[in-house]
Amino acid sequence: MGVERNGLEGLWEELVRLCNDQFSSPSFKRLLSTKISNERAQQYSIQMVYYVQNRRDCWGYVQGSAPLEIKKLIWEHEQDELIGRKSEGKMDHITLAVKEGEVFGLTAEAFERTPRLEGGEVCFSAWIRLAQRSWLEAIAASAILEMRNSSELIKGGSLSYRISETFQRDLGIPMKKQINNAEHVVMDVEHAHLLMRVSRQYATGESQRQAILRGAKESLLIDRVYRDHLADMLAALP
Amino acid sequence: MQLVKELCATLDKMVNDQFDSIEFKKFFAVPLTLERGRFYVVQSALYTSNRRDCWGYVQGASPLEVKRVIWEHESDELINDPRAGMDHYALTVKQGEVIGLKPEDFEKAEVPSMVRACFYAWHHIAMHNHWLTAYTSSHMLERRNNGKIVSGGGMSYRVGKKFENEIGINLKRMISLDVHVVADTEHSENISEMFERYVKTSEDCDLVLKGAQESMAIDRAYRGALGYYMEQIK
Repeated sequence: MGVERNGLEGLWEELVRLCNDQFSSPSFKRLLSTKISNERAQQYSIQMVYYVQNRRDCWGYVQGSAPLEIKKLIWEHEQDELIGRKSEGKMDHITLAVKEGEVFGLTAEAFERTPRLEGGEVCFSAWIRLAQRSWLEAIAASAILEMRNSSELIKGGSLSYRISETFQRDLGIPMKKQINNAEHVVMDVEHAHLLMRVSRQYATGESQRQAILRGAKESLLIDRVYRDHLADMLAALP
Repeated sequence: MQLVKELCATLDKMVNDQFDSIEFKKFFAVPLTLERGRFYVVQSALYTSNRRDCWGYVQGASPLEVKRVIWEHESDELINDPRAGMDHYALTVKQGEVIGLKPEDFEKAEVPSMVRACFYAWHHIAMHNHWLTAYTSSHMLERRNNGKIVSGGGMSYRVGKKFENEIGINLKRMISLDVHVVADTEHSENISEMFERYVKTSEDCDLVLKGAQESMAIDRAYRGALGYYMEQIK
């Protein structure tokens, strides 16, 4: 296989291919072809906050198990996500997601009183389990979700980009008003390179490269199941 | 409020009691030589790395607001402590220069077996327990270093004084120990505030106490192990 033949370059190509393949999976196709009503946009938006929270859980665990210099990279990564950059007028991504909800008529209380999707809960636990594996598997599992959200790597646009296009098409809400989606379209291009930085230094042998692939593949599998649950949720709403 | 007040009083007693334990007494009774001092400083760097592992795990498990507090905490530890102008691992390596250590001595250092067992035990609490238990486990090691709580001074202060009294190196020159005398006082106070927010029931108290008891037991084993290994250095 390509990974064995070409080492690091092959690994990167394989990871990019896996991310692109997500969009050909039945669950992604189903989610992205769902017509969006305002109520569906509201529920999707709320569930995305839980998804972002789960990302914070997983990145914390990855930070715990990674070598010291990688811990520092993750700490910086989490600044955008967890804290924001007040000097640049950027809020953290959870506040951003709640703020974006206003466009769909959501209040902060709506986020607090709406429970997690049951299927989402199961996927979140699965991602946490992955985050507690060996650090290379764990970091690949988290970083691959940002690669899958990088329009630089995904032909036809990342997941955030495609979702925002759907919202624009069906609800007439321009992307610049979807502040969370718009931010991730930009940020995840930058964040997607984290795994390559790590791989250059640590994926020096076949076993390390296989660990990265294993973590990435399992995470993308969970991602497909999660998107399927979201599609079910949307389909059940008017 | 009363619940948390009583809980904190119990935690304070526990960190003070550490210094009366046979393991801590044995550790402090081992006379310091330059070689033993070098061993201790290298081990401190490894301990610092283990703390970074555990706080990462705790951040993963905690509620969002607590994650943010831990992230700020890790800013000093992992990125840059303005008190020192560097992160705490680099600070420990820098401190080593005073006693003739080079960066390579830290890079090639091995974790002795009894110490390794303690590090894995701390990992286990941080990764596989309720977040309040995990959080308290890491917090207690800073509380035990808080000179405002521990009569006679926290661990860093006492070890710093040992370097001063037994091998003649002033505490101010032991820059990592010196910074930790202050840093862990602030850290333990900031982190302690979270108990006010999240400890509401006796069950919550039990989760906190479980983390405190287990971490303090490992801490005693760890100090006992360091004392043992230092004693082997003739």
